[in-house]
Amino acid sequence: MSPLNADEPGGFVADHLDVGVFAIDAAFRVTLWNRFMATHSRQRAEAVIGRNLFECFPELPRGWLERKVRQVQALRNYAFTSWTQRPYLFRFDHNRPITGGVDAMRQNCTFMPVRGEDGSVSQVCVTLQDVTDTAIAHQALAASLVELEREKAEQQRLIGELEEAHMQVLQSEKLASIGQLAAGVAHEINNPIGYVSANLGSLKRYLDDLMKVLDAHLELAAELPTECRERVAARTAGIDVDYLRADLPQLLGESCEGLERVRRIVLDLKDFSRMGETEKVPADLHRCLDSTLNVVANELRYKAELEKCYGELPEIECVPSQLNQVFMNLLINAAQAIEERGRITITTGSVGDEVFVSVRDSGCGIPPDELRRVFDPFFTTKPVGSGTGLGLSISYGIVERHGGRIEVDSTPGQGSEFRVWLPLHGGAD
Amino acid sequence: MLSEDQRDALQELINIGMGRAGASAAAVLGEFVQLSVPRILILRPGLIPAALERILGSEPLTAVRQGFHGDLRGEAVVVYGAAHCRELADLMGYEDLLEPGAERELLLDVSNVLVGACLGGLAEQIRAEVGFSAPSLMAVDEAAASLIDVRDVDLPCALFVEVNFRLEVRSFACHLILLLVEEQILVLRNAVDRFLEAL
Repeated sequence: MSPLNADEPGGFVADHLDVGVFAIDAAFRVTLWNRFMATHSRQRAEAVIGRNLFECFPELPRGWLERKVRQVQALRNYAFTSWTQRPYLFRFDHNRPITGGVDAMRQNCTFMPVRGEDGSVSQVCVTLQDVTDTAIAHQALAASLVELEREKAEQQRLIGELEEAHMQVLQSEKLASIGQLAAGVAHEINNPIGYVSANLGSLKRYLDDLMKVLDAHLELAAELPTECRERVAARTAGIDVDYLRADLPQLLGESCEGLERVRRIVLDLKDFSRMGETEKVPADLHRCLDSTLNVVANELRYKAELEKCYGELPEIECVPSQLNQVFMNLLINAAQAIEERGRITITTGSVGDEVFVSVRDSGCGIPPDELRRVFDPFFTTKPVGSGTGLGLSISYGIVERHGGRIEVDSTPGQGSEFRVWLPLHGGAD
Repeated sequence: MLSEDQRDALQELINIGMGRAGASAAAVLGEFVQLSVPRILILRPGLIPAALERILGSEPLTAVRQGFHGDLRGEAVVVYGAAHCRELADLMGYEDLLEPGAERELLLDVSNVLVGACLGGLAEQIRAEVGFSAPSLMAVDEAAASLIDVRDVDLPCALFVEVNFRLEVRSFACHLILLLVEEQILVLRNAVDRFLEAL
């Protein structure tokens, strides 16, 4: 094949095509070099034709290109390269010197066998197509696809969060409605408790007075004539006055105790619906924990070794008395979960702008089907009388009002961990 | 569509073409290439996925497609098992560990050689002019049955030619499947008749 003759129509077209066209012979000498190749490589045809391709362009991937050309010669078949795998054959400037987007012109190449008269192939003609625009569009598409995938994943995550939040709203609404009910019930019960309690107080005083009267009468009765004493004895036969005197104050005392218990439950109910004290102050949670531990020391002493793993905690905005109550609930629950003797570990620390207080016990654990219900009001697994079933739901409400949350992790037979998370800078309320 | 004689003759024609293909592929790959006797089927497009699954099994596959045009028109699909892709690297003289881009280029290259050799051989036998489009990656790690989506194929039937390649020394193997549109069957039939007359 001879160099392009621009005077012939075919030669003119090949020379002026907006596609790179060049050819090489078996020794890789350039035999054809059109205008596209010349302008982009800045090597004129006269300077290249007849010379070895790799000599003119030492940066070409020699081993690979030689194999490719040999392949075409041996098979007398087409071969191709695509920009998606090999961005370019010749490193040419692209057509976007200003707007940019890629480092060099993207090229698709076609290697064609040039058959001689006898059908054999020694020369190989290569066309080189500028596909920079396609490549940039493709890249933009690929980038937006990645972005879409990312957004999709993000949305999926948000949907998950929304479901979680929905569950939490349901939980807190349930608690709130029960809270309202409880507040009403507490108020109703408070009234009778008030006057029963006052009456019991009066009753006790009256009883004391009556006893004095009885004592006086009994004393004087001894001085009565025998006939009178016998008449009194006959009328009070079967009444064991000594027993009455001993038992009456005891009965009254037990009634007062019972009433006190009712009053405490009502107080719990009131706490559950709304704490009396809501003023937030900066407080040291470690101090709260320590004072709570003092209060419950007796409950824990015979049940568990106490281990304190206090981390670094900054002061946080909170209502200390309320949090004390939360910690007390968790600690008492932990102790009650332990049957014989075990270990209670208190761990504190901070992560990001949240702090946590964790109470872990080596107790009986919570079965998975009950785990969801532990924060429900009146849910209790304790024997009747040892718990109201309000402790954890009260704690839940308190922590929620602090903008925090309680996480629970439990393995039946191994123990439970309740972890209270609180924001550094007081949450809602 | 084809009589028994015509079918046998076509199989023979393709076989001769393939033989040449094997020789030239061997020259390029530097290894002796074994080819199976081509199997020819005339299928409704809806049956193509099932046929692919029967031939290729259920392991995940990588496939390259290449269109050809001219006197013969259709598409060639070269299918590789995942394990065989690596084997190709040193076969084609890529010493270094392959990046994904280079590995794919290699797949396209080998597919181009195989398709070019086979169709070139066949075209030469029946004196047809055939041109090739650039090969492209069709599927990576996909099941055989979902390689070709036939829902949009609006053809009454297609000619399905299957050849297996195996290199003598290495464990490399792949399948070449030629899919020709119905009208091509007539082209081939004429060629077969000419071939039979010349005998």
